[in-house]
Amino acid sequence: MTDAADPTPIEQPRPATYYHLARAVLYREFLIFVRYPANAIGGIVVSLFFFGVLFYGGQQLAGQALTESLEGIIVGYFLWTLSVGAYSSVSNDIGSEVQWGTLERHITTPFGFAPVALLKGVAKIVRTFLTSLIVLVAMLLMTGTTLRIEPVTTISIAGLAITSVLGLGFAAGGITVLYKRIGNWLNLLQFGFIVLISAPVFDAPWTRLLPLAHGSALLQRAMVDGIRLWQFSPFDLALLVGVAVGYLAGGYLVFHYATRRARRLGVLGDY
Amino acid sequence: MGDATSTGQKSGDRSREETTPAGPTGDDTPGVLGEADTAAIGEQALVVEGVSKRFGDGENEVIAVDDVSFTVEQGAVVGLLGPNGAGKTTLIKSILGMVLPDEGSVEIFGTDASDGRRGAYVDVDAMLEGARNDYWRLTVRENLRYFATISGVDPDSVTGRHDRLLNRLGLGDHADTAVRNLSRGMKQKVSLASVLAGGAKLIFLDEPTLGLDVESSRTLRTELTRLAREEGLTIVVSSHNMSVIEDVCDRVIVMSAGQIVADGTVEELLGTANRNAIRITSADIDDHVVSRLEARFTLLDVETVDGGRRIELEATGEELYTLMDTLRDAGVTVEQLHTVEPDLEDVFVSLTGDTQGLRGPSEGEGSL
Repeated sequence: MTDAADPTPIEQPRPATYYHLARAVLYREFLIFVRYPANAIGGIVVSLFFFGVLFYGGQQLAGQALTESLEGIIVGYFLWTLSVGAYSSVSNDIGSEVQWGTLERHITTPFGFAPVALLKGVAKIVRTFLTSLIVLVAMLLMTGTTLRIEPVTTISIAGLAITSVLGLGFAAGGITVLYKRIGNWLNLLQFGFIVLISAPVFDAPWTRLLPLAHGSALLQRAMVDGIRLWQFSPFDLALLVGVAVGYLAGGYLVFHYATRRARRLGVLGDY
Repeated sequence: MGDATSTGQKSGDRSREETTPAGPTGDDTPGVLGEADTAAIGEQALVVEGVSKRFGDGENEVIAVDDVSFTVEQGAVVGLLGPNGAGKTTLIKSILGMVLPDEGSVEIFGTDASDGRRGAYVDVDAMLEGARNDYWRLTVRENLRYFATISGVDPDSVTGRHDRLLNRLGLGDHADTAVRNLSRGMKQKVSLASVLAGGAKLIFLDEPTLGLDVESSRTLRTELTRLAREEGLTIVVSSHNMSVIEDVCDRVIVMSAGQIVADGTVEELLGTANRNAIRITSADIDDHVVSRLEARFTLLDVETVDGGRRIELEATGEELYTLMDTLRDAGVTVEQLHTVEPDLEDVFVSLTGDTQGLRGPSEGEGSL
């Protein structure tokens, strides 16, 4: 029990940098992803099942009409699985952290919660991209459809599109911190993403300001029409970035003030 | 070991405002396991001044913490005692910034926690009751590395210290086991280890022995004492378990109804009990004898035992002769006679009037 009997040399602790923080947060996500794959596999299977119902059922009902719009449906479904994955992982993750008593430790970290939350968000997006790509490939194989997937364009547009959803996830997480067991209600918002993804951005341009809507339109053009990132107008790209940053910042602010309110009420961590 | 004082002063009506922290403190490397890098013992680790917290409004208002002030010197191990609802947890959470106090201020290692939370909490960590505090799907060592990083320490620079910590807490053989696969007691130890992994110099432990078996509890107490004595760690322990407080703490703060009702060393508090009880066992003690004794002394307890009764009463000085005379006159042959020293539970009951929470959760039992 004494150091005298302990041959381990005494080290001098070094301060952790943002690199160490990023490594720790991303490595934790990676470990949980590879060590407990059931959730990810379950999500993929459920996504493909619903797509199968949509595709084969739709073929029976709509016939040729469905086939003509199939590419758009696949891109929309791909973006929807991305959005649901990012949103639910962030909001559910915050709920779990509250339940486990680990949220407080992240809030009081010397790095501040914002960089931790941002890194967690990045990890969720990466993880969601991996599972959604599997779903996308399976959908293409299932339907015999081809899309024009240019990696830089697809990842940039889809990534920015779901960044706005991350903001919604943070807001939902903040509300969970305040009101606790309301995750099931907040998960209903996922179905609202379908409306956002199919928003009529050409007929009602203001809908471009909604999360996902503008990104969805750009992603359709990129993956169906083969337009590259640099071929979009600066306005389209600026709007995409603006909507992403705006909703992310807004969602984080909601989370910040919700946790502050929870601290005022003494309910932070009381699950 | 350090000492501390309860100032009883109120700092005014300044409400705490949260500041937004950003980025790690590059030049302020937290020590790991509080070794030689701890500041000199004797300086103040914690200053709490006039902290108050109310919940609810109007008739429903509850004053959870009422104008509480105290200081804790570095290297001190301070016990926080009080019945359920006394305000212990709210006070700890207020100090940690998890609850925003309505009034008062908290200073940690000289940094005002209300002005710069990042700077104030860089050397602080806590294990709160009922919380896991760590990730059950990661292994024990992965948790230590993760929370060391979150606390601002490069985990690669403290692997040896993590090994020592795991060995001391009896977790060495389980370092690469997922926490979810460990027993409840082991999980509690992992929680403590993760709190210590980042090298916090001031730690708060809320019911640290809850759920531990006797041996694990003893190991943990030994380690806490060692951490304080050898490594200068400042520890604030909240517990219902009096033996933990007596064993580990060199100072005890007793809270009741949101206020500090006593503050001193264990010896000082025992001295306030002012009780000189005598316990007598005899087969000759019947109701008549009990009545005669009750008329002249303060009876504390009467218990039927095999072949007679055991009574406990207060008697000092000349009263002892009177007691003996009374017993002789009543024809009582004394079989056993003991003086009864007051313990911390007696002090606790006399200060708080609480007879329900005093036994609290013993080792291996749940919380009250």
